Amino acid sequence: MSAPALDRPTTRPSRPNHKIQRFATVLLFGVALGWSITGLDITLSRLASAPSDAWGVFSLMFPPDFATEFERGVLGKVFESVYIAWIGTTIAAVLSLPLAFLAATNVAPMWIRVPTRQLFNAIRAVPELIVAVVLLGVTGLGPWAGALAIGLHSVGTLGKLSTEAIESIDAGPLEAVEACGGRWASGMRWGVLPQVLPTITSYWLFRFEINVRASAVLGMIGAGGVGAELVALLNFRDFDGVGAVLIVTVVVVVIIDTVSAGVRRRIIAGTTPDRRGAATIDDLLGTSLNR
Amino acid sequence: MIEFNDVSVTYRGGVQALRNVDLAVGDGEFVVVVGLSGAGKSTLLRCLNGLVPATGGSIRVDGVEVVGASSAVLRQVRSNIGMIFQTFNLVHRTSVENNVLMGRLAQVPAWRSTLGRWPAGDREIAMQALERVGIVDKAFVRASDLSGGQQQRVGIARALAQEPTVMLADEPVAALDPITSRQVMGDLRRINQDLGITTIVNLHFLDLAREYGKRLIGLRDGEIVFDGDIADVDDDTFTEIYGRDIKTSDLLTVDGMDETMK
Amino acid sequence: MTTAGVTGEVKRPVRPRRRARFFFVASAVAGFTVFAADQVGFTFSTFWEIWTNPLWEKFWPVPWDWVLDEGNVLGPLVETFQIAIVATIIGCGLALPISFAMSRLTTPNRVVYYASKAVMNVVRAVPDLFWAKLLVTAIGIGAFAGSWALSVFSLAVMVKLFSETIDAADDRPLEAARAAGGRHAPAVTTGVLPTVFPAYVAYALYVFELNIRASLVLGLVGAGGVGRVVETQRQFFRFDRILGMLLIIFAVVVAIEQISVAIRKRLV
Repeated sequence: MSAPALDRPTTRPSRPNHKIQRFATVLLFGVALGWSITGLDITLSRLASAPSDAWGVFSLMFPPDFATEFERGVLGKVFESVYIAWIGTTIAAVLSLPLAFLAATNVAPMWIRVPTRQLFNAIRAVPELIVAVVLLGVTGLGPWAGALAIGLHSVGTLGKLSTEAIESIDAGPLEAVEACGGRWASGMRWGVLPQVLPTITSYWLFRFEINVRASAVLGMIGAGGVGAELVALLNFRDFDGVGAVLIVTVVVVVIIDTVSAGVRRRIIAGTTPDRRGAATIDDLLGTSLNR
Repeated sequence: MIEFNDVSVTYRGGVQALRNVDLAVGDGEFVVVVGLSGAGKSTLLRCLNGLVPATGGSIRVDGVEVVGASSAVLRQVRSNIGMIFQTFNLVHRTSVENNVLMGRLAQVPAWRSTLGRWPAGDREIAMQALERVGIVDKAFVRASDLSGGQQQRVGIARALAQEPTVMLADEPVAALDPITSRQVMGDLRRINQDLGITTIVNLHFLDLAREYGKRLIGLRDGEIVFDGDIADVDDDTFTEIYGRDIKTSDLLTVDGMDETMK
Repeated sequence: MTTAGVTGEVKRPVRPRRRARFFFVASAVAGFTVFAADQVGFTFSTFWEIWTNPLWEKFWPVPWDWVLDEGNVLGPLVETFQIAIVATIIGCGLALPISFAMSRLTTPNRVVYYASKAVMNVVRAVPDLFWAKLLVTAIGIGAFAGSWALSVFSLAVMVKLFSETIDAADDRPLEAARAAGGRHAPAVTTGVLPTVFPAYVAYALYVFELNIRASLVLGLVGAGGVGRVVETQRQFFRFDRILGMLLIIFAVVVAIEQISVAIRKRLV
């Protein structure tokens, strides 16, 4: 098979060499992994027995003891986690919405924008659990500490996302309000808010989904909800009960996820025509890939 | 040898894309298929290699039945049929060579191609395919860095790397400008002549069909309304295929411009 | 003064009323909020009383000697890194094939698609620290259980992100690979993987960041890392030490984020 005569180039280029790059990458990963494993006091016997140990515990959870758990009010505890998440999200929504207007490049002046953004970043850096650890000392044990911790922490993520939503608006309506001689507040209310509210509402709902999981975890350190029940059962090695608690939690979480995702889809479908593939990190965790 | 026997294709929504098509294409022929969009041109090509399953009739490629074939048989048939797409269908983020090597998928053990450990012989075939379309100098360039015409030539090289007996081209120049369109059509005709690969090309533009085709097939509403030598084609034939008179939008180049280009 | 029918004049439309459903939904949401607030013991006064709480004095001054002493914070911080690295490599490694199975575009068949989706949904529905606590109970306290838990967590996050990226990828090269007679696995790796691989690396870096943050709290349930220090110090109400730790961790997290963001920008 010989090449025909052409007015186009026929000399083969030399194959680029990636060997060094590849070797360096493999080496980097190998060293990182090797170094990390040494720190995790992993012995061969431990490594070998871990899967069977884990499987042993998981198999002890079946059949789950639903009867005893429902008697102990597991459903109420799961619902308490949901209430905590709901109130926490509401607090965060109420606090973050006005702050977001103060942080957006296109509507806020520099002197207020920069500190507000830094506030969001600082809040986001502290996990709910740490916030709760501190708040427990202030409010005492109970769901209110959990709701407050979730509320404060979520201000960071919701504020950042809402800011980004505001920054991506169409400037036209805002300009129109200004052209009629409207104040800054009227511009926000009539020029910006109608454009961003659907997106921001869907962020709130998404954050609620995440917060349901977070509030379940907060219970583990005494901030109300189902987490405390799980810890108690695990400490007493009551694995039938653990199985029941886990299943009830998973069912409730999946139901909330499904309903909330459906509502979000409807809210967004009413505004932007195509958001296929938009389920990115923002959607999953309420944070953004590119800050 | 390609034989269509009473082939029908009905899509799930109930749209009938092909109705009782009978067609025979001999080895080494260069066939151009024309028709309005929606006439079934693309379906005709795609049911030939099983990308669209025919819902009735029989399609034989070199004696092998395609309709209702098992996936193993279908892969075997496909490996002998190169396909060129309107939108090139290249992987933009990888090198031209890797794109062309995709033509070797049916010949290379799955584990090797999955891990990207292509045998040297297959790499050689890919290089030769690139030489044949004249862009071997771009072998290690990312596909996204090429122009449209170059990308389509990579598409042709990928089909050539299969060392096929049949080449299907689905509107190969619809996304290209007039000059590169002619280059690509020229490549296809040259490959047909040099290597004797049976070639079926879907075209929208009538003048290109006249210029490059030998045999012309006209499709209208899923039925073959014309099948004959391109020399016998006149404006009335096109009127029958298109159901209306020829408009300038059916031509790649308007007459006056055509002269200056030559 | 109805003037309908006169040329050029049009009857004014009736102002549309909000539909009953709107009021129903609005009052249901409001009602639920009030009920939930009552259930969690919502107290407005907390918002101002919190600032005057004597507890805040316990945060200051930060005992830097203690914080910077090698064994106290930095040792566990290194352990945190090790947990995060192992978990990221294991979780993201496993996520690669599972994500392809979970994407509509590249799944080998329906059974695999629905099965993997269902399993991963359940895994994701269990909160991360529940996994940690379960594994600590099952295989013992320490970083070993922590890295297991974070591996599961990384896997869950990664498959969700990456399978959706695959869903949205260009499917035309895949058609070309199939037309060339390729089997399923090579068709996917040659036709789709190159397109989505940069996103995969970007997500892996992102998951690493998440893991660093998450391993901060793993210690609260006995799964190793710096969280362990938070847990012991909070029992003694040494919030000054916790604050010092948080500041160090904050600096480290920010530094990692900067590096990771810089790498991701080059990738995408």
